[in-house]
Amino acid sequence: MADFKTELGKVTLKNPVMTASGTFGYGYEYAELYPLDKLGAVVVKGISLDPVSGNPMPRHAEITSGVINAVGLQNPGVEEFINGEKYLPFLRKSNAAAVINIWGKTINEYVEVAEILNEQNGITALEINISCPNIKEGGIAFGTDLKMANKVVSEIRKVTTLPLVTKLSPNVTRIADFAKTVVDAGSDMISLINTLTGMVIDIETRKPVLANKIGGVSGPAVKPVAVKLVHEVYNAVDVPIIGMGGIQNGSDAIEFMLAGADAVAVGTAVFSDPYAPLKVIEEIGQYLDRHNIKSVKDIVGRLESV
Amino acid sequence: MLTENAEIISNTKLKDEYYKVTFRASDIVSENILAGHFVHVKISGLEEKILRRPFSVFNVVKSDVLEIVYKVVGAGTKHFSSLEPGVKCNILGPLGNPYTYPVNSEIPVLVAGGYGSAAMYLIAKNSCNPGILLIGARNSKELILIEEYRQLGFKIKIATDDGSSGHKGLVTDLMEKYCKNQYKIYGCGPNPMMYTMVRMLNSRSVAGELSLDHAMCCGVGGCYTCVVKVKDGRGGWKYSRTCKEGPVFKSSEIYI
Repeated sequence: MADFKTELGKVTLKNPVMTASGTFGYGYEYAELYPLDKLGAVVVKGISLDPVSGNPMPRHAEITSGVINAVGLQNPGVEEFINGEKYLPFLRKSNAAAVINIWGKTINEYVEVAEILNEQNGITALEINISCPNIKEGGIAFGTDLKMANKVVSEIRKVTTLPLVTKLSPNVTRIADFAKTVVDAGSDMISLINTLTGMVIDIETRKPVLANKIGGVSGPAVKPVAVKLVHEVYNAVDVPIIGMGGIQNGSDAIEFMLAGADAVAVGTAVFSDPYAPLKVIEEIGQYLDRHNIKSVKDIVGRLESV
Repeated sequence: MLTENAEIISNTKLKDEYYKVTFRASDIVSENILAGHFVHVKISGLEEKILRRPFSVFNVVKSDVLEIVYKVVGAGTKHFSSLEPGVKCNILGPLGNPYTYPVNSEIPVLVAGGYGSAAMYLIAKNSCNPGILLIGARNSKELILIEEYRQLGFKIKIATDDGSSGHKGLVTDLMEKYCKNQYKIYGCGPNPMMYTMVRMLNSRSVAGELSLDHAMCCGVGGCYTCVVKVKDGRGGWKYSRTCKEGPVFKSSEIYI
């Protein structure tokens, strides 16, 4: 049995498989199916300073081998997240490593959320969402502008000692530049990819299917894009990388790890199979055993040249 | 809530585009399924369609048989209707917030549109008193499950858009005289019909329980793609998840 221990800088996880923010609620929704501490980490849906009601319906559509969504970061706000029994207190009791995804409409809002969470026990890391395509302010406005990306991360860095993960947008020309600038600003890790922006049209009504007109595409359809971007970031910076984008099984996860991801996240696949993250862990183990590899970290970045 | 690879025992056309599929699903059935619960089905053999499809439970037979009545509305349900006995589908369930059954002093009035009669059958089966089914459809060809309700002693009142059977008009036109205390009103049907019911019930201060229908991704409350507006208790509204806080809501909670 291979060693699954995964070291991401100061953070040690029991295995390299996490959930992806926005697909796994706050964890409690899935806890009836399996103990959350079987996962490397639970990454919760994005938390903002104030409660947010999100976008009008329809918020999603199924596409060939994927989903497009524009949920719009609906969330209960940071105070309720800290105090509401089913949110952070539940995660603490679950003993799962908890990564809290945060976002704001302004830099001040990001900083305030980070400051409030810095005082809380039981948080493994903060994931800074600068890449949500579904809200006008905040989110992707920070993730597609190099100066803003640097600024938001460096301001958050000043107020928290928690490990910081910055989640990058794939909707940029040179993702390596964004990776470098957020690492310069103090990000301890990088996660990618967030969703690719897209649009679906109903040809009978000639209207966009999503009320928000555009949304973010996820699922197996985006996997090759994600693997390539993870590899570009791996070649650009020297911090741990959490890779995601269409991972459904162990083979998909291994692709990301060979491309340079130290850990992976399983997102859209839980809609098809809520047990997908556990299946990915098991199948990574089978791959390692089959290749007689002792530790999961020994495959990270081990891509051979053509 | 659990998952099970359930085998199709039969999958036959009821009439028009409506089908009934019967699964052997002893694990799911052991979970105490109530009227209004739904199951999330991964339709086998559709690899490029990654989402499950939510269906209300129509009926539970013995300790291991689960029945669903569905309408072919798109590529997923079209393929579903082609699956033969022996094929297995992964089912997640039971899910959602169910109906509450009528107490002894209450006569249930079930207001059904389209395949809404499927989702309320377990209310009829578990009611102390036989009640009344008000059922509406576009035309007489789309009226389903009437005989099943009749066998439980339910009175049937029909409305069709084209007048091919019963009252010509909307099923909600038949509801007025049941907006009284001795009745307990339940609804399931297309969302515009549900909102008509909300307006009628709320303006008469009559309670009702309505099941709202939405496409969804996860089915368990994790993704927030299936939300509806409910009252927030402060004169405004908030979004609630059809899959978690619903699909059954009190009519007094639904915000219009």
